[in-house]
Amino acid sequence: MNQIRIPFGMRDILLDECTAKKQLQDRIEQVFRSYGYREIETPTLEFYQTYENAFADAQGDFDDREMVKVIDQDGKILAMRMDMTVPIARVCASKFSKIDPPYRLRYCSSVYKMRQAFAGKRSEVSDCGVELIGLDSQHDIEVLCCALDTMAAFGLEDYQLEIGNSDFFKQACRALNLNNVQTKTLADLIDRKSMVELQDYVAGLQISDQASTFFIELPMLGGQPDVLNKALAYCFNDELRQEVDSLLHIYDALKELGYADHVTFDLGKVPHLDYYTGIIFEGFVPGVGHSVLSGGRYDQLLNKFGRDLPACGFGVKLDYLTEVMTPEPEPTVTLYYPLSKQVEALKLARELRKKQPVKMVVRENGDVEVSK
Amino acid sequence: MSISIALTKGRLEKQTVAMLEESGYGIEKLKDKGRALVFPDTKKDIRYFLVKSNDCITYVEHGVADLGVVGKDTLLEGGKDYYEMLDLNIGKCKFILASLPEIDLLNKVGHIKIGTKYPNVARAYFNQKGMDVEIIKIDGSVELSPILGLCDGIVDIMETGTTLKENGLVVLDDVCPISVRVIVNKASFKMKRDEVMTIIEDLERIVKKHAEGNQ
Repeated sequence: MNQIRIPFGMRDILLDECTAKKQLQDRIEQVFRSYGYREIETPTLEFYQTYENAFADAQGDFDDREMVKVIDQDGKILAMRMDMTVPIARVCASKFSKIDPPYRLRYCSSVYKMRQAFAGKRSEVSDCGVELIGLDSQHDIEVLCCALDTMAAFGLEDYQLEIGNSDFFKQACRALNLNNVQTKTLADLIDRKSMVELQDYVAGLQISDQASTFFIELPMLGGQPDVLNKALAYCFNDELRQEVDSLLHIYDALKELGYADHVTFDLGKVPHLDYYTGIIFEGFVPGVGHSVLSGGRYDQLLNKFGRDLPACGFGVKLDYLTEVMTPEPEPTVTLYYPLSKQVEALKLARELRKKQPVKMVVRENGDVEVSK
Repeated sequence: MSISIALTKGRLEKQTVAMLEESGYGIEKLKDKGRALVFPDTKKDIRYFLVKSNDCITYVEHGVADLGVVGKDTLLEGGKDYYEMLDLNIGKCKFILASLPEIDLLNKVGHIKIGTKYPNVARAYFNQKGMDVEIIKIDGSVELSPILGLCDGIVDIMETGTTLKENGLVVLDDVCPISVRVIVNKASFKMKRDEVMTIIEDLERIVKKHAEGNQ
């Protein structure tokens, strides 16, 4: 049998699609460089425990179903990297221990998640991103500006960066003394805007009407920046009001910097509570059914590797974007020549290549000839 | 911006279309289908297409459809990468656990086998009960499996209970209620928020009106 198939979720990326992807990557990396981020590469394979250490929640639970696992000679489980943030955290906690923070690091690498079969999803995607490590939330705006400039560099007609802050939700849960299970269940329902189950669940929590309204309204507290003022009305203590104020401060700064048209908010964005510790944001473009950029603040991650440093970053999933990109044409000249004049033709081609790519085509008769 | 809605064809189709009509949408083409698969709304910038329930989730997750109308039974068994924003309160039924009357399934000591078309629903239910059971996927006439001795019990959808009764099965427990839900692609909700919310709010009004009518 001819073995011509590729495994589920894998893609060959060919010709125009590949060109579009590389051109996009160039434009994005140009933005990252302009912000002073330095490039790093880490191995494709990490120890399973590295991810377990990074992602396990307070109860030690860790959903590893999407991880691509390999066994090494010693029987240890290895994982194909699921993201670049965890390897970078590992590097910062070990290899950079003698260098003073902050670290501004960028990457562009394939990351792997085993996706459901037959669902048309990708298991390997190119992830391009930055991590700003060692600076606290006062520097969130710098990271957001970089994300917005990155999205502008996509070259698409429209894009939206949606900003939330999971602390807003966490503060509310703490104030109400909700336990871990309750907090997690609420977060899941709110994040999926599962309005029907959310109302049932909140009704069973035995919390005040004001608090119930807060959680039920939370998934809908999204959209244009005026939603932040609306959110203030639902805040039931000063800590919550402070969270909204800090988002208002971010918005004012972004507005002054000219980004207002591309910024929206969603206070009901509360994924991965054990991972994100502050702002959290996602980028969307027309024609793509999921977020193309995602990031946030993760001040606890480096601590898990033994070095207590705050951090914030984001990544762009290139492959989802290339579906809506058309490659810019790369002008090429064609040089026709008979085999009898090959050396002459190669000499001419060498000169022409200094200006633009040359494609050489043999023909039976005639002379060496260049055509655009 | 134009909106695409994936409707589940079959049992739920008529009731869903009726609700859209009541909300003032131009669904004439959906009523008189012929061989077409995609139906433009005659009043608004919306196109509908009819798909099987599982496919409804797939179309919405990929953003090919901005919204989908699909049963909770399908949602519980499928992916989760969408917003589930509204209960249309139609197509109401429930998941139940049933078995032959002589089997005291919930108190049985030893290996338990459960036949179902919905392995994820069954697994979640028994997990929450603290019971470890073997699940056997059955694609049709699930009631047959305990009768023939393949399984100790079944997790299945019950509408009236007639099929169960006719086959001599008894309901041991309600697993969860089911009704038709409106799901929304996450990116569509960001990029076309106003258009999506208009449709949700229009349908929500009809749901409320029906609920008041029933009281």
